[in-house]
Amino acid sequence: MPVDSRRLQGPESAFSYTLLEKKDANAEESILSADLQKMLIDSNHVRKDKRKPTDARPLFLRTGIISQAKGSAYIEQGNTKLVCGVYGPREVQKKSDFRLNGQLFCEFKFAPFSCQKRRSHQQDNEELVLSGLLREALEAAVCLHHFPKAQVEVNIMVIENDGSPLAAALTCASLALASASIPMYDLVIGAAVRQLPKLLLLDPTKDEEWQPKLNHDENNSNLTVGFMPSMQQICAYVHEGVSNPEELEQMLKIVTEYCLKVQPVVQLCLKETVEKMLASEGENNDAE
Amino acid sequence: MSIAPQLLRGPSLMAEILLSEAEKAFIHHGDDLRCDGRTRLDYRPIILETGLVSNASGSSRLRLANSDVLVGVKVELASPLSEKPLEGRLEFFVDCSANATPEFEGRGGEDLANEICRFLQMSYMSGDTINLSELSVLAGQQCWVLYVDILILECGGNLYDTVSLAVKSALYTTQIPSIKVATMDGDQPELELSEDPYDTKRLNTQNVPCLVTLMKIGNHYLVDPTPEEECCSSSGVVVAVSGSKKITAVRKIGSGSLHPESLVSMLKTASEVGAVVNKILMKKLLEEETAGKTQKVGFMR
Repeated sequence: MPVDSRRLQGPESAFSYTLLEKKDANAEESILSADLQKMLIDSNHVRKDKRKPTDARPLFLRTGIISQAKGSAYIEQGNTKLVCGVYGPREVQKKSDFRLNGQLFCEFKFAPFSCQKRRSHQQDNEELVLSGLLREALEAAVCLHHFPKAQVEVNIMVIENDGSPLAAALTCASLALASASIPMYDLVIGAAVRQLPKLLLLDPTKDEEWQPKLNHDENNSNLTVGFMPSMQQICAYVHEGVSNPEELEQMLKIVTEYCLKVQPVVQLCLKETVEKMLASEGENNDAE
Repeated sequence: MSIAPQLLRGPSLMAEILLSEAEKAFIHHGDDLRCDGRTRLDYRPIILETGLVSNASGSSRLRLANSDVLVGVKVELASPLSEKPLEGRLEFFVDCSANATPEFEGRGGEDLANEICRFLQMSYMSGDTINLSELSVLAGQQCWVLYVDILILECGGNLYDTVSLAVKSALYTTQIPSIKVATMDGDQPELELSEDPYDTKRLNTQNVPCLVTLMKIGNHYLVDPTPEEECCSSSGVVVAVSGSKKITAVRKIGSGSLHPESLVSMLKTASEVGAVVNKILMKKLLEEETAGKTQKVGFMR
């Protein structure tokens, strides 16, 4: 792994003190699904943060928070917080990258302090893959033929990661793109769901998210979907963990239903953005 | 002039696949019959041989029509990750060399290689597929690391499936030497390697997943797309299906989108197809093993 010599690196053998935490009765290794389920949900079917299994966390959206960017958005989904800035369309710098259609350039970055484990300043493998997933999802939504030979940059910075970062990033990026007046077929709404053997948890937090572990005796997985509600199209689909196709069908149903509920919220936010923009333009004209 | 969607993000020098309107129309609207005479759910012929690389602990070469992949597995001792002290690990590395196709020139293949690596990692992660605790030598101190190096020799479409089948076969043949903790000298354990080179163990690869790529073209979807079919399609899914017919990872590929209904039906088909592919592969591997020493064919042939 190449390291940036200009940055101060910790000693190579440094590790997070959280690993020294005492775990009860070798817990993690021997957790069976039944116990796991008990850990995440109590007997009244209420999750640790007082949600029902099919409830999502409260959502907060705001546009126009980066003055330098063409469009920007901020999303808060419980404790998952991230910003997105959209720049362009601008001319493609490298001649070799020339393409007749417009191009999207996506960068997904976790702030070094955003996760429990410290992340490096350089994009790691996971971030690269998330960038790719984001680009593939947005490419399906953006009318690329409207800005030929140009590129639009979409930068995501995760400030705090408390589960489902890709889902939040999809919603945030499509809102930022829309607020930057980039022509799109539809808004993309992201949503995630965690599958336990007999239970589905919508919009999982970090603790509820699926972690690769041994000895999982039954089906356990995580699914993130990017959905375009008015077009009824799925533009991102990432599933990790073990499931049957029938279970995946059910998970998909829950997720798309949730997306349909979120769509008006995002549209409202967008409407307010446009109204604000028109109002400020009106003021400018009056001043002249 | 169209370009295979998987290669879209490569730099300049695209080897464009030239397709006439009539060819495109056939691929889009043809009945359950494809240009090479297959039906939509048929694979192209596969050639598989294991144990070709003498210096590797396990190796395989797989050719699926024009896609040619060579996989070598090296086992090495290392200290386990601090967050998983009781497990060994698998490390994947895909090399998309410029030899395979001009798109991979320079850094062109890097993104694709990265994607394949990450997807393999993702699909091998769940406890159902491979038992990583078998790779632990001394809890918290020493474990086996399996370096799975994948060399793409020729690129003729459907890389995900080709790579996964080759990796599974290579892991099937991988020999892990027996090692014993002889004495504990203070804090330092002394490891003793068995003197008999044939005293090895093998991993249980029964449940290791195979990847199945389904490409959506027109109103249909098909398995094992040729490069021509890949460039007629804007989206598809890669599904990892374990030996027990369960899905261990899915992701959408390409820059298009899919309707939920067609996605669900694709997932169902993929799990059926994957189970069959898995079964046949295991059968063939067993056949090769029991056939004993036969003349090796070798790679690049």
